[in-house]
Amino acid sequence: MTETMFALIAEELARIAADKGETLPALGPDTRFLGGDLPIDSLDLATLLVVLEQRTGQDPFRAGFVQFNTVGELAALYRPDLSRSGAAAGSA
Amino acid sequence: MTPPPPWLHPGVRLIEAERSVGWTEIAAQADAFEAAFQAAGGRVVLPPQGVPALVAALVAAERAGVELHLPRRAAPAETESEPHGPGFAVLLETSGTTGTPKLIRHDFQRLRGRLRGAGDPDARWLLAYEPAAFAGFQVILTALAAGATLVSAPGAGAAELARLAVSHAVTHISATPSFWRAFLLALDGAAPPLVAVTLGGEVADQPLLDRLAERFPTAKLRHIYASTEAGALFAVGDGKAGFPADWLETGIDGVGLRLSDGVLEVNSPRAMLGLDGVWLSTGDVVEVRGDRALFAGRLDGRVNVGGVKVSPEVVEQVLLDVPGVRDALVQAAANPVTGHILTALVVPAPGVEEAALRAAIRAAVAVLPPAARPRLVTLTGSIALGAAGKKTRKGTA
Repeated sequence: MTETMFALIAEELARIAADKGETLPALGPDTRFLGGDLPIDSLDLATLLVVLEQRTGQDPFRAGFVQFNTVGELAALYRPDLSRSGAAAGSA
Repeated sequence: MTPPPPWLHPGVRLIEAERSVGWTEIAAQADAFEAAFQAAGGRVVLPPQGVPALVAALVAAERAGVELHLPRRAAPAETESEPHGPGFAVLLETSGTTGTPKLIRHDFQRLRGRLRGAGDPDARWLLAYEPAAFAGFQVILTALAAGATLVSAPGAGAAELARLAVSHAVTHISATPSFWRAFLLALDGAAPPLVAVTLGGEVADQPLLDRLAERFPTAKLRHIYASTEAGALFAVGDGKAGFPADWLETGIDGVGLRLSDGVLEVNSPRAMLGLDGVWLSTGDVVEVRGDRALFAGRLDGRVNVGGVKVSPEVVEQVLLDVPGVRDALVQAAANPVTGHILTALVVPAPGVEEAALRAAIRAAVAVLPPAARPRLVTLTGSIALGAAGKKTRKGTA
């Protein structure tokens, strides 16, 4: 299912927050990226999407903007079968 | 109490930090400013301190006949205090991302002349631009003239503004496509009762226009095309990206449009003083596809990151100056949240330790505005060169 993707999002989001000297609260599928409790802004969210593309090889936004608000909604946009096999690319 | 100037409808309400003020409060603050401005003369500087103070300062500067410089940051772009010209005028800074922002002197009557149509006194505007940015200033003047309500929270992000839009039942928002994307991401089930959705400052893409039309089906959806020198040029209201290709023949709204080597040139009666009626190159590359003219990036390679124009080449120079960096390539990656985001490929010099190099890069880019910092830095052994022997920069469409 999308659990692997959820874990990947949590891992990369924690890294982005750590770079800013922030720590993340516990994430759930209903955690909102913006407008909730997460210490991230839209540039951080943009960064997350670039990192996810690099790690999964998938770009669910190729055709343009797709609505998502929560961690669970974003995780569901990626095909689960590929989320494990992404190249081990380093992020900033 | 002194009556308000003709450009300020007495019914106006300014809501900031949960405080609502009207002409009574504005007039009192304007009186205090006026005394100070009279004493200073020439040019006065008002550091950012919110919309009500900005409006009061405008009233006072007009009465005192001084130039009002509205810096975007506490440290203004220019510190010289010699006025550019006599009498009341407004000085706004351009959004320079790399290099010093330019200070532009605007004739106030001319700025007002750009406002279109009779304002709606029942409108409830949300200020989604910085108050002292040109676009933000236009929104403020529009609300003032109409006697509308203006909700503002300078420095707040899209998420906070989305909350305010819902709680204050905002009806009008003018913002960049990047703002709208973040706004949609931040909105819960509840949405503000928008009747006017306006996009400007960067290219409006079709998926975003479709998404906005779907979320706000009864709102009037428009995207505005503007340039620094020529100001707002035209609005497109058919919900489609780009503009009708026949405008390149007929012009629109008194503005002449033509392509020169694929780059859009404009001729506007509303351009800055001295440039009216002159053909100006916008630096925007336009492709005609069927009956539509579509924007295809900037001639100078600058890209829009969250509404801020950044130059990958300038950022690349910053990376190349970092000790331990042998070569660097900064590219724009398309991004559904911010339009674009910068990424970097870096070739380390031999023997350089990765952690130390990353730390040095992070320190070097920290001087850039957040939008101009490469968000993903990948270390690599070499950077491929294109056929012309230049580094191939992708993704600037």
